Amino acid sequence: MTVLVDPRATFGAAVTEVAAHDPRVAVVSTDSGGSSGFGDFARLYPERYLEVGILEQGATGVAAGLATTGAVPVFCAIAPFVTCRNFEAVRNDLGYMRQNVKVVGRNGGLTYADLGPTHHSLEDYALMRMIPGMVVLAPQDAGEIRGAVRAMLEHDGPVYMRIGGPAVPSLFADDDFEIGRARHLRTGEDLTVVSTGYVTPAVLEAVDGLASEGIAADLLGLGTVEPLDQEAILASALRTGVVVTVEEHYVRGGLGGAVSELLAEVPGVQVHRIGVRHGYVSTGRYVELLAAAGLDAPGLTSRIREIAHGGR
Amino acid sequence: MSAVQERRPVADLALAAARARRFVLRMLEASPAGHVGGALSAIDLVTALYTRALRVDPDDPRAPGRDRFLLSAGHKALAQYAVLALTGFFPPDLLDTYGATGSALGGHPDMAKLPGIEANTGALGHGLPLAVGMALGLRRSQSGSRVVVLLGDGELAEGSNWEGAAVASHHRLSNLVAIVDVNGLQIGGPTAQVMGMEPIAEKFRAFGWVVTEVDGHDLDGILDVLDRLPFAPDAPSAIIATTCKGKGITAIEGTVGSHYWKPSAAELADAVREADAAVTSLEREVAS
Repeated sequence: MTVLVDPRATFGAAVTEVAAHDPRVAVVSTDSGGSSGFGDFARLYPERYLEVGILEQGATGVAAGLATTGAVPVFCAIAPFVTCRNFEAVRNDLGYMRQNVKVVGRNGGLTYADLGPTHHSLEDYALMRMIPGMVVLAPQDAGEIRGAVRAMLEHDGPVYMRIGGPAVPSLFADDDFEIGRARHLRTGEDLTVVSTGYVTPAVLEAVDGLASEGIAADLLGLGTVEPLDQEAILASALRTGVVVTVEEHYVRGGLGGAVSELLAEVPGVQVHRIGVRHGYVSTGRYVELLAAAGLDAPGLTSRIREIAHGGR
Repeated sequence: MSAVQERRPVADLALAAARARRFVLRMLEASPAGHVGGALSAIDLVTALYTRALRVDPDDPRAPGRDRFLLSAGHKALAQYAVLALTGFFPPDLLDTYGATGSALGGHPDMAKLPGIEANTGALGHGLPLAVGMALGLRRSQSGSRVVVLLGDGELAEGSNWEGAAVASHHRLSNLVAIVDVNGLQIGGPTAQVMGMEPIAEKFRAFGWVVTEVDGHDLDGILDVLDRLPFAPDAPSAIIATTCKGKGITAIEGTVGSHYWKPSAAELADAVREADAAVTSLEREVAS
């Protein structure tokens, strides 16, 4: 039976584990630490746990200033507040100033379904990957969250990572994570599917279902949106000629945008983007919003099938 | 900060500030346009800090235990460039590259290009939150380092300043100093008309800072205030400095037009003559 775990608790525990042997690791909280899984961190390392209240713009500068003194601050809050609200501070204080701060957007995508568009985050990959030098991570399962935490804290430079809220499975046997390296999850010749983040379990289910219908997809699972694993995507795209991107993000500017940019000048390759249509998604139940966006396994199955059969 | 450097006669400081003003004009001689007005309203304060207060070493500009100075109003970079050159952070010849493509002396400071720069400011409202983070980190490292951030009065309309001000006070950052260069003018006119932020001192006090007001061109007064830092053992210090935009170039003093000044050759020549005369006169005073 698949064990599901809370991604935020998994994330917080992983940071706390690294902090046990890396005294540089600090947490910046905008009254967001408890919901980000940092309860233990705050108890164990109070001198490295900095509460600043609800001021995400200022907190981003504070984190950058802390980083100039050798700390490795982790700043985690609800995804739009750490990417949209404070965008210029991320761009200038972390990007342009090349500061070693890890920004983590939790409850990304549509996972704060009932809270509505103010709390949805469907443009974070796009915004963050536009900042030169910013690494953008989107771990796909519980193990990748742990691996991505270790990788981002080892990486010297600004990182954005998105995690969700609802419980996630352990898809992979290991919790290895290499920044910029795709996992080749299924091999097929009919089309390439490129997936990122916690939508990957549904993609995997869809791809496996389609395999039983005789549609063989080459499936690349990306824990990193930026830098894109260009080599893996190009190699697969050149074999299959059809690439489908899947993400819980607007179809503009995120993984679909990145892959389209990569393949725009490659002759004979068609790109289809599956994601959330550009607009404000209504409030509601997460599973129902996902279904409406075609991002659950049945929706993905039918869309990928259509593309495999030559539909647009 | 008096223990750091021996108090010398104020004429020395006045001479340093006059030379710094001449360096600003040297940059304009290389490329005759820039945010001159704000640079000259702040330059007495910046000169006093670098020559009398900050524990910084031009030979080891990244020393971990150094004090940090951030120019939150990054467009006043001409003042910092001039003073960094004056205090040996880089050879004054570099001033002649101002305005050239790829120069280390751009319109706003770049920490990757120039020693002595602590933050890539220019977008307003970034310096104070950055300084707060630095002060928190340095306090934790127990280095004794202080962080001084210079803000403009027009800049105070940016809300991020007040986010930083709140955090500084909540966390009792006595190693943090904010200096507000209140020249009263911004690009669109008098600050009081564009977006009045007075009473500035009262606002900082209300945020939990301990505040002192000073004339930002009275060098004796500036030194007295710097000597008293920190103003309290458990709160951040704010210095509200009343200044004159364009101070030292009579033709542009107190004018909105000095904000971004593009002098004609004749205007620049006049300004250079005035600055040279100030330097010469102070050299005589110091020598006597």
